[in-house]
Amino acid sequence: MLLEASGLSKSFGGVTAIADLDFRVPEGLVYAVIGPNGAGKTTLFNLLSGVYRPDEGRLAFADRDLVGRSSHEIARLGLSRTFQNLQVFFNMSVLENVMVGAHARAKSGLFGALLRLPRMRREERAIGRWAQEALDFCGLGELAGRSAGALPYGALKRLEIARALAAEPRLLLMDEPAAGLNDTETLEMRGLIGRIRDRGITVLLVEHNMGLVMQVSDRILVIDYGSRLAEGTPDEVRADPQVVAAYLGGEVHYAVE
Amino acid sequence: MKRLRGWLLLAGLLVALPILFPDNYYVNVVGAAAALHAILTVGLNLLMGYAGQISLGHAAFFGLGAYTSAILTTRCGWDPWLALGAGLVLTGAVAYVIARPVLRLKGHYLAMATLGFGIIVHILLVQTGSLTGGPDGIGEIPPLSLFGWTIDTDVRWYWVITGTLLAVVLLALNLMDSRTGRALRALHGAAVAASAMGIDTAQAKTAVFVLAALTAGLAGSLFAHQQAFVSPDSFNFFVSIELVTMVVLGGMASTYGAILGAVILTFLPELLVVFEDYEVVIFGAILMLMMIFMPQGIAGGLRALMRWPRARTARTARLTQDAA
Repeated sequence: MLLEASGLSKSFGGVTAIADLDFRVPEGLVYAVIGPNGAGKTTLFNLLSGVYRPDEGRLAFADRDLVGRSSHEIARLGLSRTFQNLQVFFNMSVLENVMVGAHARAKSGLFGALLRLPRMRREERAIGRWAQEALDFCGLGELAGRSAGALPYGALKRLEIARALAAEPRLLLMDEPAAGLNDTETLEMRGLIGRIRDRGITVLLVEHNMGLVMQVSDRILVIDYGSRLAEGTPDEVRADPQVVAAYLGGEVHYAVE
Repeated sequence: MKRLRGWLLLAGLLVALPILFPDNYYVNVVGAAAALHAILTVGLNLLMGYAGQISLGHAAFFGLGAYTSAILTTRCGWDPWLALGAGLVLTGAVAYVIARPVLRLKGHYLAMATLGFGIIVHILLVQTGSLTGGPDGIGEIPPLSLFGWTIDTDVRWYWVITGTLLAVVLLALNLMDSRTGRALRALHGAAVAASAMGIDTAQAKTAVFVLAALTAGLAGSLFAHQQAFVSPDSFNFFVSIELVTMVVLGGMASTYGAILGAVILTFLPELLVVFEDYEVVIFGAILMLMMIFMPQGIAGGLRALMRWPRARTARTARLTQDAA
């Protein structure tokens, strides 16, 4: 198992966001977490990426304990993420944004930078190459030199993915990658998520667009009120009467084009 | 060499000025003062403009450098260069110690904390009279000497200070165009994303705070030896505000903007001297107008002018993002 959560709990001032949640994400899959608004999906992401610390429970990533590690340490273990509300560095170019993604893959520090030592310059070239590759992969290659602020919304979402990929993660957390995208862009996003998995990167996906989730996921975890409602393949989840009743309010219509 | 074009231009200008205008008061004296301010603002801009952490107490580090040099050379008979080194060590160490607790704070709280630090240092300079000479300051600070030359004329100081400025600018440009520099800039807009990309944000903030303090300490030592006299008033709260104003006026997150801000706000009072009593009023009015019509500073305003048509797309993108 690449990622394993057991007995995970988190509450905020008496309000339970995640309650005794167990799940296991095998390597190489697209694993989706779905649930109604306020079900605890974003809290789950913030627990995984070290923004919050769980009240109880265990979190293991590639057999390493995640609880108590800070965000940047978790990132260095190979867990990268995108954000529901864009967290783009608007004070940088598109390429530089993605170069920040490769931060943890390089070492040279302050003195190397101040004096432009040869090792630092070699690393800079490598970082630039990795960033350009990630941009090309996400279809943004031509926009490398633009200011990030000049990009339209859909491109900014892909920019965040490119930035996360430049870290060469083993697990990529994607927080609502299709939110705010039109149909064409959503279709492109579907293709991109598939290509990321084909690269051997495990994807943990939170998404509201059911059509996208059903098409792109290998397994789906359904949570409600912070605990597990169902888990399985898209077909299993779709057929689960509890899911149908609780999550979809009795009405099931999956847009499968 | 493309990345050094601006720097070479600056170097050319700084070398040409005293040759074109020999023995000119505005070059040798006011120019050197502007260059000294520019060393301070280039350092402060690393912290404020690039990493987005405000400091309203930057004059304190300027003062620590100056007083270390003054005290060690006059009272302990140290060699000026050794004293300068000690000043750097002291300012760096003080910055390092206060960086962690202070930089946990954000926005107004960070502004208040750095303001408090600046005031404490100023009070210490005034009150520890036996060491610092109190409000009267310390005089008869020996000049620096370089390769057997004593730096004791205006034009020689011009060369030393502008030379130091060029070195500081080069280091700042190098830094920003690097992995560490990008990590610093990442703190500015989206600190959560920065740590999600593996950047130790607390460490990055500490590093840039210490660097900014070191440039201020360096400027302080040079100032002490150049003036041969220091007093607490050169390092009070108003000096900190003046430095922040220079950075904002020139344009945040631009090394050349920081230099421009320092040059303008050093020359302006000199030129406004003819208006005597109204000098401060005119000064204030210029600043207010700048902030109203060019909130991005001069560098930002020029950049916006150069890509007028594209600016609208950027604004729309940002609005869309806020709406989402």
